[in-house]
Amino acid sequence: MAGISRRSLLQGMGAGIGALAASPLVGSGPALAAREKELNILCWEGYNSAQVLDPFRSSTGATVKAESLTNDPTMINRLRAGEINTWDLINVNNPWARKVMLPEKLIKPLPKAEFEPFFAKMLPEFKWPYKWAMSEDGSELIGMVQRFGPYSFVVNTDKVSRKTAEDTGWDLFNDPALAGRYGILESDDWNVFNIFIIAGIDPFKVHTPDELAKFEETAKRVFKGAKLIGDIASMNQALISGEIDLHMTGGTYSVSPARADGHPNLRGITPLKGPLPGGKGGISWIEVTSTVNNPNLSPLAIEFLKYVQAPDVAHTVAFAEGTFNPVAQMGNPDCFKLFTKEELDAIQWDSLEEEMARSVEYDIVPDYDKALDIMNAAKRLRG
Amino acid sequence: MADLTIAHAETPREERPTHRLSAGALCALPVIGLLAIGFAAPLVAILGYSVATPRSFDVFRSFTLENFAALFDPTNTVWLSFLWSCGFALFTVALLAVIAYPIAYGLNRVFGRASAFISVLFVFPLFVSENVRLYGWVLFYIKNGVLDGTLKWLGLAGGPEVLYTPGITLFGMVYTYLPFMLFPMTLGLALVPRDLVDAARDLGAGRLFIWREIELPLAMPGILIGMLLTFVLAIGATAEAKILGGQSIIVISHDIEIAFTYSQNWPAGSALAVLVTFFIGALTLFALSKLDLDRMLGRR
Repeated sequence: MAGISRRSLLQGMGAGIGALAASPLVGSGPALAAREKELNILCWEGYNSAQVLDPFRSSTGATVKAESLTNDPTMINRLRAGEINTWDLINVNNPWARKVMLPEKLIKPLPKAEFEPFFAKMLPEFKWPYKWAMSEDGSELIGMVQRFGPYSFVVNTDKVSRKTAEDTGWDLFNDPALAGRYGILESDDWNVFNIFIIAGIDPFKVHTPDELAKFEETAKRVFKGAKLIGDIASMNQALISGEIDLHMTGGTYSVSPARADGHPNLRGITPLKGPLPGGKGGISWIEVTSTVNNPNLSPLAIEFLKYVQAPDVAHTVAFAEGTFNPVAQMGNPDCFKLFTKEELDAIQWDSLEEEMARSVEYDIVPDYDKALDIMNAAKRLRG
Repeated sequence: MADLTIAHAETPREERPTHRLSAGALCALPVIGLLAIGFAAPLVAILGYSVATPRSFDVFRSFTLENFAALFDPTNTVWLSFLWSCGFALFTVALLAVIAYPIAYGLNRVFGRASAFISVLFVFPLFVSENVRLYGWVLFYIKNGVLDGTLKWLGLAGGPEVLYTPGITLFGMVYTYLPFMLFPMTLGLALVPRDLVDAARDLGAGRLFIWREIELPLAMPGILIGMLLTFVLAIGATAEAKILGGQSIIVISHDIEIAFTYSQNWPAGSALAVLVTFFIGALTLFALSKLDLDRMLGRR
């Protein structure tokens, strides 16, 4: 105890409390006004990887913290619950920024003049003014786009051919012969969409009681027939081992790691037809990254959004750890040439354009709460 | 420090203000503060959310019992998850009691010098993340995995299809919680005086009689602590049902997780969490009221 006096102990405690108060993840206020050297990102996996963040950390000397989650509602709830003062950037799927976060003032617009030129180098479908990057009235730029992909279901083409899967579409999950041979990805917002589609109903509208009754019957049957429900790793593992032949909710995003790992027989499928507007059978997603309406927003948020537009960083984002995905910046030849043949094959580049054309874009289900409650009840009946 | 000591010594006892905190309480303040922030505050927040307007973030700004009413609505099937969780927890406790007792007995009476090493073997898996260990079991049991592949390589029919069933969920829970039953039980058995057992034997008591009348009652506090600990942990288990069981069963903690994530309904999740917490809390208090901790800790 010789080295510790009451004074040194109190000094140490004071320093500790001071350090805690200065932590970027605790509170806000004038003491935290200077945030030039810190950035907090709430995102899907990939943007939180060292490959993406370390060069930015080195070049700016900033402390960059990124937390990855695997569903949009949770991320948005974090902002709603008060973490708006914590985060600088939020990265979620297309409709949330425009339809939910901007009206709820959870995010703030970007400087159009600084970001508009980036859209000119993106793939043609993302040209300015790109719908999901803009506010509903088209006056504000509310986020930047990067990763995207079709997302319907995945098959082992050794067991169910690509042609059969595309022709039969979602009716595969209505086939009693396939009960016990498919899995369901634990991605409940997407599963709500897909149960509606399997029931032959467009998910992105208000549903009648009859349609909800059909949804319930379909949910009970589809969940009862599933061999397993699990995460992406579990789905790919079950496909590779032969435990299942296909799984619902999946696509480039989920199957690309397995394809890159030497299993090209596993393939994301976008059905040729379905009950979606225009007779389409698939759904696609596009990530939008926005600046949070943080009263003390880090100036690095804007810098980071520009940083990930660079061809080499965009390629790194596409192949960051976790999942591999196409990026809008592949429209830039300098970015596209960085992709090897194997990488293009992993993200199903050969059919990407046609699959996106056969898909409607991810949207919000107006009666999602009701449908999710029905689906959760159906899941409980599996046992 | 010397000056300070003299100053204290010279202060007449009766002149001290009575409202001042004692030295012990002052020293405990940082810990109390830490507990208040880290332990009590989240619980208060959960309580606050449980009575907030459903599907809102109006915590401490609204009051309603709708979330609890919804849980008791006859059309709500969440009771199924609760029953499954209770069932899994009870079976886990029962199986572990039978499995861990002989091991605990061996650690006390049979294994001798090897006991320490064997104990380490049981503790060692705890150093590895539970999820990693469970994924390891998936690789073991999966089709064409370690078991199935080996059996096929040996020319046999292959392994049983046990993955993604309630049974494998129970297996995973028994595997995960074994140390939590084993060590309290070992401690309980260690408190049984050897002389008492020898005396009973000298007086002609048989093995079964000694076990029933001496060992079991004296080791019971340790056994009950192990059972309680295992039950409380098992009723909140999710990973086993998700990773090994493939969600063939939705357990109650998974329902709470869904409410906080995909459902965007923190009040409903909080109400469910409060209900489960009260159930487990009441059960724990009841069990602890039946235990004689003094005896267990060897104070008499």
